[in-house]
Amino acid sequence: MKNALAGVERALFLTLVFAAFAAAAAGLAARAADRVAVHYENERNGYAIVRVLAPEGSAGLMAAEAALAEAPHVVNAARMSANRAAMLLTQWGGAEIGAEDIPALRLIEVEIAAAGPNADAAGDITAALARGGVTAEVIAAPAEIAGGGMAARVRTAALWGAVAFGLVMGIIVSLAARGLAARRRELVTVMCDLGATRSQAAGRIADEAAVMGLYAGLLGGALAGLTGLVVMLLVIPGASAEALPAMILPIDLAPIVAAPLGAAVAAGAGARSAAAYFHAKAARLG
Amino acid sequence: MARLNPTDIELFERGVLVRLSNVDAGYGAATVLLGVDFEARAGEVALVTGPAAAGKTTLTHVLRLALPPRSGRALIMGADMARTSGRQLAEVKRKIGYVAENPTFIEHWSAFDNISMPLRMVGKKPRQYADDVRELVDFVGIGEAADLPMEKLSGAERRRAAIARALAAKPHLILADDPTAGMSPADGRRVVKLLAEMRRVGAGVVIASQDESLAECAPMDVWRIERGRIARVAAPLEAETQE
Repeated sequence: MKNALAGVERALFLTLVFAAFAAAAAGLAARAADRVAVHYENERNGYAIVRVLAPEGSAGLMAAEAALAEAPHVVNAARMSANRAAMLLTQWGGAEIGAEDIPALRLIEVEIAAAGPNADAAGDITAALARGGVTAEVIAAPAEIAGGGMAARVRTAALWGAVAFGLVMGIIVSLAARGLAARRRELVTVMCDLGATRSQAAGRIADEAAVMGLYAGLLGGALAGLTGLVVMLLVIPGASAEALPAMILPIDLAPIVAAPLGAAVAAGAGARSAAAYFHAKAARLG
Repeated sequence: MARLNPTDIELFERGVLVRLSNVDAGYGAATVLLGVDFEARAGEVALVTGPAAAGKTTLTHVLRLALPPRSGRALIMGADMARTSGRQLAEVKRKIGYVAENPTFIEHWSAFDNISMPLRMVGKKPRQYADDVRELVDFVGIGEAADLPMEKLSGAERRRAAIARALAAKPHLILADDPTAGMSPADGRRVVKLLAEMRRVGAGVVIASQDESLAECAPMDVWRIERGRIARVAAPLEAETQE
């Protein structure tokens, strides 16, 4: 890190910091998208509406509620009030709807516990209702074939998008580190003249670049983490400095941990290949 | 990795540091050395003279293993250049002290650090080499300038630093390409005498220079190179030297 913050080295160092920051920020953004998608998917899969077909009237609703209390997967069940229906219709349709405009409802909102991928919660609840003498339709979130599964695609896109962006930043770091090797060309030439092998000369330059990449990655990663915290405080309702530690999972920190390691590896590799080239040029004239 | 030929090793052990046989060498389309036969031995000094662009520097490049011959055989300290791997060439290079016409240094390092670099490269610690390098620095006449960054040194001091660096690792073979360039005649002779002194510790010394009068500084084999062809013109005569 000798002279790392002066002259050309400073420009190079700042380039590495920026690339590490961008890669870490992209990783954090991907983690945020992943967590939002997971949350959305859980919410979607954890909700269903039971429409009671028979018996009619409040007797049917009471029988359904009793059956749902014993039904598998059901965490909570509550009749949908006219006010709630009006609110939902207003939210979804846009036009203002009053509770007095809502006819008598035979709907029960059901909160469903997370089930395995092969579980048929809607079928199990329908069967439980039938055993309670209730004919009902359970309206759950649509399956993938019916338009569901967007969250999985978002998660995949976020992951691979961040990986691709990180690789591009790695290439930028690697190319920038070649500039460091070019600045050390005289050292490579002298080492070559004094009998250093290619791996010795390239290794020395690579070590210096890797250390610079490590420091730049630490700084870039820390800046990205700080930015992430600020964004969380501003964007997430109810987020506070006290609540943040509980909101952050260890895996969320992966991009910040990866930034210095990735920057060190990319910078070291770029500088090594350039130094090896310069050694080859110095070792063999003609 | 190619193995060294036992016969070549034996030749090296008998004191033949360099043997070029019918060597052609050059750069790109240009062939600079033509059918060169040349030999340098341990404990002897060879002066290669000739006009500018005759091939002196090219010969030095071949001897320091930087320019492979296009044809012929170059045997440098037991290693046949055409058959030796990069790692072995690097090992042989460590036994060569090279003073370039325009020496390259790490400019922001001190002269002391530059001079001690060959020793650091073989893993020696500062406490192991500091006294020897100080002695060397005094021997070549850099003195207090040794602690200055290289970029602050004058041309003559840089050349002396290059000589000190070439001698630091106690090489078997010392190659000096125009070591007196830019120096006064007196300084130039002092430098050549200093280089020639290394023959007394068993090193072979090859000096390339246009200045034929340098042959008077010490007993030397004198070779003349012209248009890429070389011929030995004088053998060392101890009695005629002005030591």
